[in-house]
Amino acid sequence: MSNPPQTTETVSIPAKRTPAGLRILEAWAMPLLTVLVIVFFSLNPASSTAFPSINNINVILGSIAVVALVAIAALFPLISGYFDFSLGAVAVMSQVLCAGLMAKAGLPLWAAIIIPIIIGGLVGVVNGFFVTKLGMSPFVTTLAMSMLISGLMIWYTDGQTIVSGIDRSIFDFGSSRWLGLPAVFFVTVAVAIVTWYFFTHTPFGRSLYAIGSSATAAKLVGIPVTKNVWWSFIIAGTIAGGAGILQLARQGSATASDGGVLLFQALAAVFLGATAIRPGFFNVLGTIIGAMFVSISVSGLTLSGASGWASNVFNGAALLVAVALSTYLGRRKRGS
Amino acid sequence: MNTGAAGTPAAPGTTPAYALRVEHLNKEFAGTRALNNASVFVRPGTVHALLGGNGSGKSTTIKILAGVYTADSGELEIFGKRYDLRDYTPATAQAAGLRFVHQDLGLFQNLSIEENFALDSGYPTRGPGVDWRALRRRVQALLDEYELPLRPDQPIYSLRPSDQTMVAIVRALQDQTADSQHILVLDEPTARLAAHESELLLEQVRRRAALGQTIVIVSHRLREILSVAQDYTVYRDGRLAGSLVDAKPTEDELIALMAGGSVAALRPTGEASHARTDVVLHVKGLESGPVRGIDFQVHEGEILGLTGLVGSGRSSVLKTIFGEHQPSAGQMTLLGKPYAPTSVGEAMDAGVALVPEDRAHEAAFPEQSVSENIAVAKLKDDWTGWMPRGRERSRAKELIRRFGIKVAGPDALFTSMSGGNQQKTVIARWLNRAPRLLLLDEPTQGVDVMSRADIYALIREAAAEGCAVVVASSDLSEIHALADRTIVLSRGRITAEVMAGDLDVDGLNRLVLRERPLSTDDAPESPEPNA
Repeated sequence: MSNPPQTTETVSIPAKRTPAGLRILEAWAMPLLTVLVIVFFSLNPASSTAFPSINNINVILGSIAVVALVAIAALFPLISGYFDFSLGAVAVMSQVLCAGLMAKAGLPLWAAIIIPIIIGGLVGVVNGFFVTKLGMSPFVTTLAMSMLISGLMIWYTDGQTIVSGIDRSIFDFGSSRWLGLPAVFFVTVAVAIVTWYFFTHTPFGRSLYAIGSSATAAKLVGIPVTKNVWWSFIIAGTIAGGAGILQLARQGSATASDGGVLLFQALAAVFLGATAIRPGFFNVLGTIIGAMFVSISVSGLTLSGASGWASNVFNGAALLVAVALSTYLGRRKRGS
Repeated sequence: MNTGAAGTPAAPGTTPAYALRVEHLNKEFAGTRALNNASVFVRPGTVHALLGGNGSGKSTTIKILAGVYTADSGELEIFGKRYDLRDYTPATAQAAGLRFVHQDLGLFQNLSIEENFALDSGYPTRGPGVDWRALRRRVQALLDEYELPLRPDQPIYSLRPSDQTMVAIVRALQDQTADSQHILVLDEPTARLAAHESELLLEQVRRRAALGQTIVIVSHRLREILSVAQDYTVYRDGRLAGSLVDAKPTEDELIALMAGGSVAALRPTGEASHARTDVVLHVKGLESGPVRGIDFQVHEGEILGLTGLVGSGRSSVLKTIFGEHQPSAGQMTLLGKPYAPTSVGEAMDAGVALVPEDRAHEAAFPEQSVSENIAVAKLKDDWTGWMPRGRERSRAKELIRRFGIKVAGPDALFTSMSGGNQQKTVIARWLNRAPRLLLLDEPTQGVDVMSRADIYALIREAAAEGCAVVVASSDLSEIHALADRTIVLSRGRITAEVMAGDLDVDGLNRLVLRERPLSTDDAPESPEPNA
């Protein structure tokens, strides 16, 4: 009776398998495309002088750092199956508050950095409460939160750009270089490495993937679904808060806005990332590459003399294509 | 061998001997021969059972008939008319008079019966608007014709499960007239129904058949099939394994045809019980949801069956033990210690495991790999500061081999497997935790005969190793085959306790169907969707 069950048939694989070569190409198509974009803008006469300059590369790397950080923040709720549209606004809020706390309230630099990041986390607490405890649509909740925060920031700044009264050392950090690369870029790389470890090598990160796949099933294997999803919003808010500080360090000034451009670029990066490295799944390395693609393309377009609307069109189109591709790949994975 | 032009009419004046004739049917999927010279002959006015295990080709045949798959070659004749299988589409199937009712009924739960009918056949109009009165009259006439005591304006969710299936059947047959007969194909019609609901449905199917309706029925529940079918076609490995016309086979004969080999695991455990005397779980006066005060014990190595009608509280008992529901009264003792889990996590830490009823929604992580699906219940225990992916994969490989799971490998997606192998994977997930108490809710629902035998062997093996097992099931042949001891629940109370071998399946069925009369201390009955 204790014999293992005998199987009479041989193992049969119902799904058609993608050849190995094609699978590798699929996983690396996005990085390849990024390289092609770099080559294109370096050779394209309109941008070939300004684009490959050291100065511009540093500007691009700085912008990648911020976009990628917001994108990493967005990964947490997205992997567990939720959207957070407030992250762009949270980043801008943090940028404005950090500047304002120094310029208006005269707080020291360390407090002006920590307080906005904590408030970013608190926004996540509120978002998470609405979404997990009250079961509200994450879409509408975070969109409303985004509008509310940006409104408050316009009130806080009176619609003015905060330029003076900011501690010089934050700007020095923003323009400093380590090993020839912008220092802010290393901050993002460090956060990315920690996040990668989180998602692939902690029970918490793995549980987020499980929740994203089936929340009901996750609950029945002992995963505290509500708690973990709530934490994913809190972590997202905190990281987006950090992204705002980096943005202030780069720009040296702060203007209240809805953070829409940042959010869209970050979302495009996340979804483009889901087409690379581990196609069909949100992943950290893919997200960084996605952020590079978006930032490099926008920079190249600007330097080629494209008008302001062109980058908006690009951001929108990139997000559409990214979502379409990642949806298609995800569906093919599931074999439906 | 392909047929000629589509729709060649039969010779005038002759009645075709078969309502549906399929011959020399072949279909290949990426090198796997799903159908190999298969055939089906359905006589008009009969109930025809199409049987076979998973991968036997019966689903493929149904999908070819529905126009979902295109056959590689074969002959098809419906009511004496020949069809070319190469350009046979769902529209052709519809025009030819084939009507399908699948396991997922495709009804809109929140809409009324009449709207469900109209969405299928179109809304009758008067002027620019919908002629609701005409629609209601027509639907009412159909419901009367099928002797269903329902009103057209009732929403689907308010109907009992067997009536929902009947509504789907009537909807499929709504345009049938005396001159244009249909063939009704029922794909696993009772898979989601409790025993007495299936009985109601089958009774109505029998009545339609008596009126001359041609019906093809696909089901895993052989006992039910035996009670309705006249003709049988059995597939095995894509070939015709047997064809019985106007026959009265026994369940064993059918199983022998389907399995073609030993099915020893389907036999009752009998003396093979591994039950010892140590009590693992002791439940005293438990009240939770529909459960109104029950006492029982499960011993080490024992397989306890838990059965009863829908709403008897079978699932609630398991969910309460697993910490998913909180009991409103009563105590539990696990391995001699007081046990009152407030969450699933606590129950798991105490050594309890639950294989839930609804695999697709409650157990599957569809876009994750087999390895991840197994490891997900052990994430915290496995964590060493890193997640040991290599160890997860090698353990998954070992479980795949030991449990005979048919899958490409540990990295294959969960959804790439058949239902039976998915279920084995879910059981592997829990046995991988070496539980002291294993709870299973409908462990073989929608699972083919061969996988079922494997799953029974797995459960017995776990019991042999000392695990206490509770199996809740509405399938009494399953309870009969598996349980050392069976508790019958009725309206939340224990009404009978039967030792293995004391009663046969019919005896058990009589116990289950004899519902406990309502007494005054029963709260008004609340519908419980998952019981």
